[in-house]
Amino acid sequence: MRLTYRDRPVDVAPGETVLDALLRAGVEAPCSCRAGQCQTCLHRATEGVPPPESQNGLTPAQKSLGYFLACICRPSEPLTIAPPDDAGARIEAVVRALEFLSHDVLRLRIEAERFAYRPGQFLELIAEEDLRRHYSLASHPEEDPFLELHIRLHPNGRMSRRLKADLRPGHRVHVAGPRGTCFYEGVDKEQPLALIGAGTGLAPLYGVLRDALRQGHHGPIRLYHGARERKGLYLTEELQALAGMRDNVEYVSATLDSGGDIAALALEREAPRVAETAFFLCGGENLVKRLKRDLFMAGASLKAIRSDAFTPASG
Amino acid sequence: MTTLYERLGGEKAVDAAVELFYRRVLADGRIARFFDGVDMDQQIAKQKSFLTMAFGGPNAYSGLDMRNAHKRLVEKGLNDSHVDAVIENLNSTLRQLGVPEKEVREVAALADSVRADVLGRSAA
Repeated sequence: MRLTYRDRPVDVAPGETVLDALLRAGVEAPCSCRAGQCQTCLHRATEGVPPPESQNGLTPAQKSLGYFLACICRPSEPLTIAPPDDAGARIEAVVRALEFLSHDVLRLRIEAERFAYRPGQFLELIAEEDLRRHYSLASHPEEDPFLELHIRLHPNGRMSRRLKADLRPGHRVHVAGPRGTCFYEGVDKEQPLALIGAGTGLAPLYGVLRDALRQGHHGPIRLYHGARERKGLYLTEELQALAGMRDNVEYVSATLDSGGDIAALALEREAPRVAETAFFLCGGENLVKRLKRDLFMAGASLKAIRSDAFTPASG
Repeated sequence: MTTLYERLGGEKAVDAAVELFYRRVLADGRIARFFDGVDMDQQIAKQKSFLTMAFGGPNAYSGLDMRNAHKRLVEKGLNDSHVDAVIENLNSTLRQLGVPEKEVREVAALADSVRADVLGRSAA
């Protein structure tokens, strides 16, 4: 059996695991338990279907993206595989629109051919060889002819300056990806959904919300959006209008400058049904880590908590 | 002759125990600090493989794996009292799930069998 690992052919002997084949070929693949439990050897098949037993214990979102455990994977067909965080090939995209959603959040809409994604995943935006950042997708592939990103502008950020000063409709950039498992998959349509985010964490949640509704979710959905200041909230009118039109959608916002803590508020309001709810958490690392732990300790299953923590750009 | 892992209910039993166990560990003031800042999804997978080992299920851990995995924690002061606390939490999780005392003791003995490696000592 033939594997392709990052453009490199690797032979798998009959009965051999992908992990053993990689190690034998000199690839430094991480591993630990070698029994399909610890998930240290997680890889992703970008072409071909890994055997179902090699996906044991992974989330529905991971399974749908072709993730598998190399130590228990004895492939029955040729696979093209990559390490779990591999962004894949970059493709060209054209800037369509740039618009301010709040005083410091920019909405960037770009068009790229053949960029398949799930709403809530993120991509790498490449403005120059050494200027690349991750942004979540707020658009929906079946509803929008563009990719929509919500970008917080930092006064001294390089990407921010580039976007503000130079980028105009018609300009070309590159994107790579998508990545991330924070999307609507493996959720029961009757299940309560809690989407909790702060700042531009709204972007993936907005994508997930639209995807959930499009897929016919009819359990209650609560969208919580927090910001430091009142003027940091955005898309408020659209979200209020959406909540007004749908019986099962509620929109809750809180800002620190008026004494509101979105994490504490969400935790308090979700406590009574914490064990049944599917959670989506997006925003800064501190908020996401704290909420994830608090929800888990309050009785939520970790399997029901999907999260995407934004980390500050380096360089 | 059925194995301990089979008597406990195999992978289903591990799945039933793992979140209860992890929640107890994180709530235990004696050991919670060793889990500060870790990625919870990665950690729960590690907890699952630890429980699988302690239940007598399939695993291929070597003493060296155990040493390497806990080296950083030993540098942060991990000692016998913390291993005791983990085993205590494991015992109470199993009792909460209604596991008979005989099996609880077998699981505790298996968990205890990696103590020297976890703490980076030469085996007694």
